[in-house]
Amino acid sequence: MRGYFRTYTSAAPLAVFRIAFGLMLLASIVRFWSKGWIEELYIRPTFFFPYYGFEAVRPLGNYTYLLFAVCGLSALLLALGWLYRAAAVLLFLSFTYIELMDKSTYLNHYYFVSLVTFLLIFLPADGFFSVDARRNPQRSFREVPRWTVDSLRLLMGIVYVYAGLAKLNTDWLLEGMPLRIWLPARNDMPVIGPLFNYPETALVFSWFGALYDLTIPFLLLNRLTRPFAYAAVVVFHVLTAILFPIGMFPYIMIVAALIFFPPAFHKNLLNRLGHLLRLPSEVFGRAGKRVYTPLVRRLLLSGLAVFFLIQSLIPFRYLLYPNELFWSEEGYRFSWRVMLMEKMGYVQFRVVDDTGRRQTVNNTDHLTVLQEKMMSTQPDMILQFAHYLRDFYARRGFRNPKVYAETYVSLNGRLGRTYLDPAVNLAQETDSFAPKKWILPFEDEIKGL
Amino acid sequence: MTALVGLLLACSGNDNDPGDGPSPTNPAANDRKVMLTHIADNIILPAYANFKTKFDAMTAKSDAFAAKPDKATLTDFRQAWADAYTEWQKVELFDVGPAEGHTLRFFFNIYPANTAGIEEAVQIGTVNLDVPASYPKQGFPALDYLINGLGDTDDAILSKYTTAPDAAKRIAYLKKITGQMGSVFSKVYGEWTGGYRDTFVNATGTDAGSSLSKLVNGYVLHYERYIRSGKIGIPAGAMAGGTAAPEKVESLYKKDLSLTLAKTAHQAAIDFFNGKSAKDGKEGPGFKTYLNALGAKDSRTNTSLVDIVNAQFDVANKQLADLKPNLYDEVKTNTPAVVKVYDEMQKLVRMLKVDMTSAMGITITYTDNDGD
Repeated sequence: MRGYFRTYTSAAPLAVFRIAFGLMLLASIVRFWSKGWIEELYIRPTFFFPYYGFEAVRPLGNYTYLLFAVCGLSALLLALGWLYRAAAVLLFLSFTYIELMDKSTYLNHYYFVSLVTFLLIFLPADGFFSVDARRNPQRSFREVPRWTVDSLRLLMGIVYVYAGLAKLNTDWLLEGMPLRIWLPARNDMPVIGPLFNYPETALVFSWFGALYDLTIPFLLLNRLTRPFAYAAVVVFHVLTAILFPIGMFPYIMIVAALIFFPPAFHKNLLNRLGHLLRLPSEVFGRAGKRVYTPLVRRLLLSGLAVFFLIQSLIPFRYLLYPNELFWSEEGYRFSWRVMLMEKMGYVQFRVVDDTGRRQTVNNTDHLTVLQEKMMSTQPDMILQFAHYLRDFYARRGFRNPKVYAETYVSLNGRLGRTYLDPAVNLAQETDSFAPKKWILPFEDEIKGL
Repeated sequence: MTALVGLLLACSGNDNDPGDGPSPTNPAANDRKVMLTHIADNIILPAYANFKTKFDAMTAKSDAFAAKPDKATLTDFRQAWADAYTEWQKVELFDVGPAEGHTLRFFFNIYPANTAGIEEAVQIGTVNLDVPASYPKQGFPALDYLINGLGDTDDAILSKYTTAPDAAKRIAYLKKITGQMGSVFSKVYGEWTGGYRDTFVNATGTDAGSSLSKLVNGYVLHYERYIRSGKIGIPAGAMAGGTAAPEKVESLYKKDLSLTLAKTAHQAAIDFFNGKSAKDGKEGPGFKTYLNALGAKDSRTNTSLVDIVNAQFDVANKQLADLKPNLYDEVKTNTPAVVKVYDEMQKLVRMLKVDMTSAMGITITYTDNDGD
């Protein structure tokens, strides 16, 4: 073990990862911007759903564009390996800030990006095939400690394996849910579309998906299985990209999985790229190792240990809550639970005051379609909006407004049922990590992890 | 990939127990193109054609009245207005494509009418009817005011068009409104017959831009906001304050028509759900057959979602049938009965908005999503 931490490997995989990941993020930002989503999601809405403890993180009005520009620019700098450390810090901060602005845009892959950019701050992805290497040859290097490359592999492995574990439940494996709903919705696809009309197809896809997630990191690690495994990565993610509206996630995973390839592959790739772009040989830096002082090394390694310990525990925090996870969603986010639920809800708020004034709220007066959809199935968001309504109507002269929610939620093809206790005045409830007693029981069972 | 899927299918065969969840009764029945074709050719287009007939008849009677305002022409106009208004209830729910693009509803049925605004517009004579502030100054509700609400007797109303100093201006405004309705509807109907039908039928996806997604969203919104709230909940005071607001009923000045309009709109929503043809009244591919093909059901009781929804439609219909034709009086004197209708409709809103939409796997936003 001690020996492992003293071994070195080529810096090329980190360089390829840095370039590919930076360019993917730049593309994501450009795509997001060009679709008008900055305006639609962060400027036009009047109310936002901050994360617990991050209430101060809000969109910045028109400066939100600047924030995205900073994020895009730092992604580009990261790809180029230009002012690498500063770019990585800025990218992590700007990207994470964007994601914290509104819960309704939560995506697992955004969280993945935040984690990777956080790791990249501390990883030596800058000394090889980079602008920095050329500008600062004495600080360049061609070899890095093996654990730096392996830490990215470990993170990828965690994402896949936990995503696989999350699929080991009766809805997914026995009912074929939610694919049994989502696949027929795509039955107009050429060639394979008609297959989606059969529930057996959903089951096959479910089992295949779970198996894929659970095994792919190991198959990518093994030299013999790697080519087939990578082909599976491409096919799997391209298929999900065609079938579901999950944006850039499949492409990010396809390029990120290259980290599992051996140094020779990456060196070859960079040599060709250097040749193609007629780059000066100085970008490859000087021969040498990235050697850390004992103190820095110890700090980095213990930091990584804590980081990965937290990563492996967070997905299991749901065990601390009594309610069915899919129903109450207490401990659902940040756990690699991807595409597991077809959940839809309806909430109608009633605001009542001491003088007997009553108002039924039209949610769309305050929320976007996306916000309303996301809020309707997530208790913490319903509570946040209820507090907003309490304050909104207090400003309009309601004395001591009480807020009640009439809710109705369906999960994975089950008929909808009342979600929250309609008699609870949400204006008085406070959010916390404690179980929310006003979530009504699921009264059904989804067995599994 | 196909080979792979085929292989996996062949390997797994039928060993996989599909469980207790929904399973399709007839996989071919969830062909969305077939459903959209039926909806376009046998429901929407003929319903629009039926409405056009009634609307054109109303315009003709309106023109006759404008040319020679007397008791006979007024009576004819009123009858034609009531007929067209009733027929309108069968097309307002198609809030998709051209109707959505031109916001057809806003030019036809925003009530209560802004009578002060109408009077002002009559005097000015050059009001811009295309802006949102003008929506309650036009359409059927404005006509209701102009032919039923200007006085207590027919003579008093007629005098506004004959002897009153502003009679000519009033007649001009009347023609302006029917002209506006005609022009907006022509645009919508023209686009449907002039190419949109094919666009509609071929947008077979379930994404936010697909015909089914737009159709379902428009339908559910119509049921929630324009039937449940507009016709029942708001007048009954179920939405705010708890005090009845009878002056907010549809067809305020022809009070015995209100319930007919509500019933017609409700039946139209039911018929649309069941895929009933506007040509021959026979059911064809629609939400009902599609949901059945998807196997949507309550897994606890094994009752199909379609049966659950239709049973609730019946309950709401019965409550509605118990009301008297004069909804204004009912709201005033029999409020709990009206609120009861609202409550039953509210149950349908939840079923349509959550259970039906979820079962169909429809996407309602364009933004990325990695699972709800």
